[in-house]
Amino acid sequence: MEASRDFVYQKFCEYYRDPSTVIPAPVLLGQREFAYLLFKERFMVRHKRFDGISNLKSVLSETVPSDVYHSCAYYENPDFDMDKKGWLGADLVFDIDADHIPTSCNKIHDEFTCSKCGFSGRGITPETCPACEGTKFETKIWPCELCIKSAREETAKLIDMLENDFGFSLDELHVFFSGHRGYHVHVEDEALRSLDAMARKEIVDYVTGLGLRLFEKERVNAKTKKANEKFRLHNFGWYRRLKLGMKNIIANGTEEDFKRIGVKDTGLLLEKRQAIIDRCIDDGLWGGVFGIGDGTWMKLALYVKNLQAAKIDTVVTTDVHRLIRMNGTLHGKTGLKKTEFPAKNLQDFDPFTGAVAFKKGEVKVLVSDVPEFRLGGETLGPYKNETKELPVAAAVMLICKGRAKVAN
Amino acid sequence: MQIESAGFTKNDLAKYPFLKETAEYIKPLGLQIDDLTSMGMDQVLKRAEERVNEAIIYRSISRSIKKIDLEILSFPVALLLVIATENSFIKKRYALAEAKQASSDLVNEPKEKILKIAHDFDWKIKLTTKENWDSPLEYTIHFTDYLRNAAHLHDKKWKLTNSILSHGNIYLNKKDVVRLLEEEIRRHIEKRLDAKLPKYPAELTVIAERVKKLAAEKIGPTETEGLPKVVVQAAFPPCINALFEAASSSHHLSHIERFTLTSFLVNIGMPSEKVNELFKSFSDYNERLTRYQIEHIAGERGSGTRYTPPQCSVLQTHGVCKNRDDLCRRIYHPLAYYKRKQKLA
Repeated sequence: MEASRDFVYQKFCEYYRDPSTVIPAPVLLGQREFAYLLFKERFMVRHKRFDGISNLKSVLSETVPSDVYHSCAYYENPDFDMDKKGWLGADLVFDIDADHIPTSCNKIHDEFTCSKCGFSGRGITPETCPACEGTKFETKIWPCELCIKSAREETAKLIDMLENDFGFSLDELHVFFSGHRGYHVHVEDEALRSLDAMARKEIVDYVTGLGLRLFEKERVNAKTKKANEKFRLHNFGWYRRLKLGMKNIIANGTEEDFKRIGVKDTGLLLEKRQAIIDRCIDDGLWGGVFGIGDGTWMKLALYVKNLQAAKIDTVVTTDVHRLIRMNGTLHGKTGLKKTEFPAKNLQDFDPFTGAVAFKKGEVKVLVSDVPEFRLGGETLGPYKNETKELPVAAAVMLICKGRAKVAN
Repeated sequence: MQIESAGFTKNDLAKYPFLKETAEYIKPLGLQIDDLTSMGMDQVLKRAEERVNEAIIYRSISRSIKKIDLEILSFPVALLLVIATENSFIKKRYALAEAKQASSDLVNEPKEKILKIAHDFDWKIKLTTKENWDSPLEYTIHFTDYLRNAAHLHDKKWKLTNSILSHGNIYLNKKDVVRLLEEEIRRHIEKRLDAKLPKYPAELTVIAERVKKLAAEKIGPTETEGLPKVVVQAAFPPCINALFEAASSSHHLSHIERFTLTSFLVNIGMPSEKVNELFKSFSDYNERLTRYQIEHIAGERGSGTRYTPPQCSVLQTHGVCKNRDDLCRRIYHPLAYYKRKQKLA
């Protein structure tokens, strides 16, 4: 194992010491806190401040950390203790990670082992061990194509909201592959910098569709003193999305779809698709088709909401001091680099080629167990307990993932 | 003293003395802190004290437009006076009263003046053009200016999720713009009251003492009333119960869940030692680290500030809010639930 770690360390060394390696400087670098995880000691060095990218690069090539981070926040004194830093503002950042998203692969490629009794299994890590009820696990997760595709779909929804609802142009959105199983979106607009945690929470709630009101109070009933609540949607923001989504499902949904959504009279929906769209959604007469009431609308709206909400990591965006992986640096769990690409290329950017840092050489490794995977334009695997000569990038990834070691 | 301000009338400056232009206007008057006791200033001091007293008693501030210069000058002096009380209740109350008063004047102003005042706070605001939308929502403001002020309002109608948001702008009617301006003014004044002065003139200290005495009488016991002395588990809100049970049956808690539970228990008076006991059942329990975290949250370490649990809306965002009940709908904070439930029992 020691030899394998050494091998990875050696490769990280080469990356950070190679003069052709490009590590882009983040804006206002001097006002940010930097942090990095030491390779061997597994210790996080924090509260570092750099005047320029060249200083930072020389430190990286000397220390060769396994992971490098900088703050989303800007500080008067980034190198001081937390309560003395003097917060000046922060970028708005989003993290979309396959870990937080249900994916069609069901994470069957992930392995967990109970730290207490050694029980192991595949798939999503359970909360408690089925054998001993322990709660701590060693996990071996795998960045599969389906996981990354799911994360990409969530990112697409987020970008669409940032563009059409929040009014940012695609050029203003910095979109990255995180180096592991997801994407980051950074917005550096000055108007956003001073927003506090509560304001950012509101943005998170918007992106996830939390607190959406589907009913509006109408006149108060003179007798009961209770306000009548009616289903009603305006034409902007989330409501625009709901209307478009509902039109789409009503126009194209199958009986099965409607059943799944929980609609009682599916026949009516199937028969009168166009009339319902025209009269109810376009003309706003929500009660205009007999048999389609507020209950049906609510079910359809909630279905569309869940479809269109972007599943982001809520904690990252609301934390105004957050450390985030630095662009152009390597991910200690894969050896891939965090890589920026234009927002409009989201669907075309292939992390398994675009984020590969090691492009030369081959090395012989003993692989324990790995599904078929693609890296650097090659399709490799599946392998089980075999010795293989693999491209360096693949070997580094398998070693980092605990699924291979250097063969002697 | 015939300096007419370029954008606002003298009358405006008296009504809205927090504007940037007010500072420009009074500069030539040469107000100095040390001057407070000099000739002619006694009137200003008197009016300043009146402003603060009215804020404490009525939560609003009367307008006297007969002596405009006096009225304008009394505002910065009132700020000094409030700062000199070094009392957070008086600071909050004064900012609130000034903001409420401004708000009740603003609703009667024409659109152009509302825009001008909003621009004074650097809002990106404009009137909705006819081509954009033919509706009673006459104003569009940038979502960042909206969030800075609406994010702290509790009513669901202010949630960004429900707003009329399009390409970065939010459509609003006059009433809502004024409500957000009120919030902006309140925050602006609170920020100015955060200033610290090296020393106060003796005259001011004497008045500050009088004001403090009035506030103490006015607040009474209700505002200072704390939480019950003993821990009553039956009064825990559902979210805390869920966390408590998860912790007791050694389920894994995320960082925010652990923080919420710990800060809640610390704030209702559970000794650090007992909180530590609870976490001992965790399989990843680390005595030194847990103790450190608890003491940090309790304010026994580091900056010395005791952390309170996040409010309900924050817990909802992060999926920590669970099993909401009827009482939940009437409160905004888990500690408020605990207090209320105790009283009901």
